[in-house]
Parts: sequence; structure tokens; C-alpha cells
Amino acid sequence: MRARTLWVAGLAAACLSAWGCGGGMNYSSVATIAAKTGYQAAQASRPINDSEEYYVGRAVAARVLATYPLCQDQQLTLYVNEVGQTVARKSSRPNTYKGYHFAVLEVSEPNAFACPGGTIFITRGLLKTCGNEDELAAVLSHEVAHVANKDGVNSISKARWSSVLTTMGTETAKQYGGVAGNLVTLFEGSIDDVFKTIVVNGYSRSAEETADAAAVVTLGRAGYDPGAMTSLLAKMLAKDKGGSSGIFKTHPPTSERLAKVKSQAPETKPGKMEQARAKRFKTEEI
Amino acid sequence: MRRPGFLRRPAPWLLVMGLAALLVGAGSGWGETLTVSQPNQSLYPAPDFASAPIAPVPVGSQVSVVSQSGDWYQVDFQGQQGWLHRQAFPQAKGPKFNLPGMLFGAPVKETKSDEVALAGKGFTPEVEASYRQSHPEMKFAEVDRVEAFQVNHAKLQSFIKEGGLNP
Repeated sequence: MRARTLWVAGLAAACLSAWGCGGGMNYSSVATIAAKTGYQAAQASRPINDSEEYYVGRAVAARVLATYPLCQDQQLTLYVNEVGQTVARKSSRPNTYKGYHFAVLEVSEPNAFACPGGTIFITRGLLKTCGNEDELAAVLSHEVAHVANKDGVNSISKARWSSVLTTMGTETAKQYGGVAGNLVTLFEGSIDDVFKTIVVNGYSRSAEETADAAAVVTLGRAGYDPGAMTSLLAKMLAKDKGGSSGIFKTHPPTSERLAKVKSQAPETKPGKMEQARAKRFKTEEI
Repeated sequence: MRRPGFLRRPAPWLLVMGLAALLVGAGSGWGETLTVSQPNQSLYPAPDFASAPIAPVPVGSQVSVVSQSGDWYQVDFQGQQGWLHRQAFPQAKGPKFNLPGMLFGAPVKETKSDEVALAGKGFTPEVEASYRQSHPEMKFAEVDRVEAFQVNHAKLQSFIKEGGLNP
């Protein structure tokens, strides 16, 4: 009889706690602690998430803008954004945490940077290198591919990211009142890692080739000429005088890259609509 | 045939039935209505990002799930049917039967003060704010301007049309 009473009492308590009523015992607290513990365990090896990627990207963009001046021409910025949005929505990652944004830098050296999360910069020098809208779309598709492939954020050192995860899990961080000082240091280090990759050293050759291939697909989906990727690379390769700076350092236009892109998207004669696009490209004051 | 000793008593049966009722009760209706929690989401006519979006779906919108195909949910949004990618509601990850969720309830909501430690967000607006304090030379105001630059949806559509591009 006593055992039966205990069973029924236990069952009632379990049901009450499951519905959050407590049942006279603080089961909900136990469940909350268990949930938190399980959640933290799951966090221990997770990759960077979209909102974290966004905040890293914002800081990288802020550093880029502290290095290079932002173009104030609203008409040109609108045009670059229109081309950029047209290709971004046809990429393998059309939506990021706060969307894609495109801006022009007042730099004569040709270059382009993709900040994690979707802010993409193109220099006036590279805009001038592009002969038409399709080639501009090729540059932007390539940079969007770096965002989609998370090439920037993946350059954060594994050891540093492990430290971030460890710091998040410590009681010290919890008791610090919201922001652990160590996390800010790790944030700063992460920005360094990404900045060095996208602005100073460039991505790996395989990351470049993967982005080229993705750009060719995106251009085709968007209705641009995929061959624009080939013509742009050929143009850059012809201009390369040793690859010591700018895009020749960060996105080296090697003959291997060109050969691969050529096999994926041979150059074609411009069609009627391509000519119309080239015309509106020329009306921009680049 | 004799039942095992512990099943001859009513209490274990009550326990089994209670747990079964709990599982069925908690499972019914799960996933039928989802709230979009991520910005920049669109309704697509097919479960494919390459298809032309039907309409934007703002954060906070509630959608009724009609069916699911891989990472895509066929939903009803304000009378329009279309497809939304799973990234629109990361809380809806995984299969419909979610035992940990049923046992421990919805994800734990944390206060701002312990957000960093427990909500598992390493880099947050608070971290950015601290970083900005120690690096006033960084041009965050210009980043805000770059992010605030929006292309009007209708204008983009006409840009695409005029250029003979794919909507």
C-alpha cells in the first residue's frame, strides 16, 4: 500500500514538473539546470553562428574603412548595390543575418574585399578594370561566394575560436556582468585574423578557385554572361606585374585559375541585352 | 500467463500511461505554426533559392507549416503559399519529434547580464560596444551607413528587367 502511494505521488510530481507547476518540489529548476548544462555541452564545439559572423564582419568592415576612404557617390553606390543584390539573391547563400551590402572604396588600386556576414567592398580601381556590367557582376559574384563559403570567418584560428567557446562556458564570464574582458580580446584577435586574410595575405588558391566556380554558376542563374568571369580574369592576368599588391596579392589571377574558369565558362560574343547592360555601365561615372 | 511482478500493480501502469499521454500531448500541434526569427527572409515558389522570391517575410511573422521537404518548409503566409528555408526559424531545427524540447521546454531565455555565458553567443553587440570603446579609430559609423543603404525592391525589379536579367 505504501509503495503504491509512493508510485502515484512520484507520477503526479513528474507530470506537474513537466508542465512547470512544480508539484511542491523545485523540479523546474532542476530541469532548467539540466537544460543549461546540456546546452553548454552542445556549444562546446559548435562553429561560429550567423549573428557572431555578422559582428565580426562589422568590425572587419570598420577596420577596412579606417584604412581606405568610402566613396560618397550615392548614384554609383546604388548601381553597385543593384548589381550586387541581383547576383547575391542567386547565390548559394542568398540570405545572411543582416543581408548583403555593397560599397565602393576610393582607392585606385584594383581590389575587392568580402567581410564576413555580407558587406562587400570594391575599389574604384577595380571598377575601372571592369569593362562592363557583366564583369562587375563577376567580381561581386566572386566576393559573394567568399561570404557564402564563409572563407573570411573560417580564417579565424581554431585555437582562438576554441578559447571563445571555453570563455563563454566559464563562470567568470557569467559573473562579469555580461561581457567578459577576455571575450573582447578574442574578438579583437578574430578581427585581426580575418583582416589579414582578406586585405593582406589573401585566401588560399583552393578557396579562390571554389569562389570562381560558384561565381560562374551565380552569373548564369542571374542572367549575366558566365563568360564575363573568364574575360575579367584574362584582363587581370594581363595586368599582373608580379602580384605584389592589391588584388594581385589577395586574389592572384593565376593562369591555372583562368584555365579552370575558361573550361567552365568560355567567352562568348555579347548579346543584345549584354550590350544594353554595358551601356548603362558606361553611364556611371566610374 | 503470469505478468511480471511489477506490472501486476496499478502504479507502473499509471506511470506508463501518464508518460504516454505526456508525449502525445506535447507532440500534437508542434511545428504547425512557426515564427520567423531571422531577418531578410523571403517566400519562394519552390524549395530553391534560385527561384524568384514571391514576397519578403519580416521578422515576427507567423506562418502555418503545410509540409516539409529537407531544409525547406512549405508554409501559408498571409494567404500565400510558398517555401521558406529552415534558416528563417532556427528554433525549428531537426525533426518534429523533439524529446529534449519536450522534457526541458523551450530554449532557456536569459537576461542580458548572463547572455554571454549561457545563451552561447560569443560575439554580441555588448562585445562590439566594448571593442569600440578601446578602438575609437574604427569607422563603425560608416559601417552603419553602408548597412543602412537599401535598394528598393520595386527599383531592383525594374533594374533586373531593363537589363534582361532573371527575376
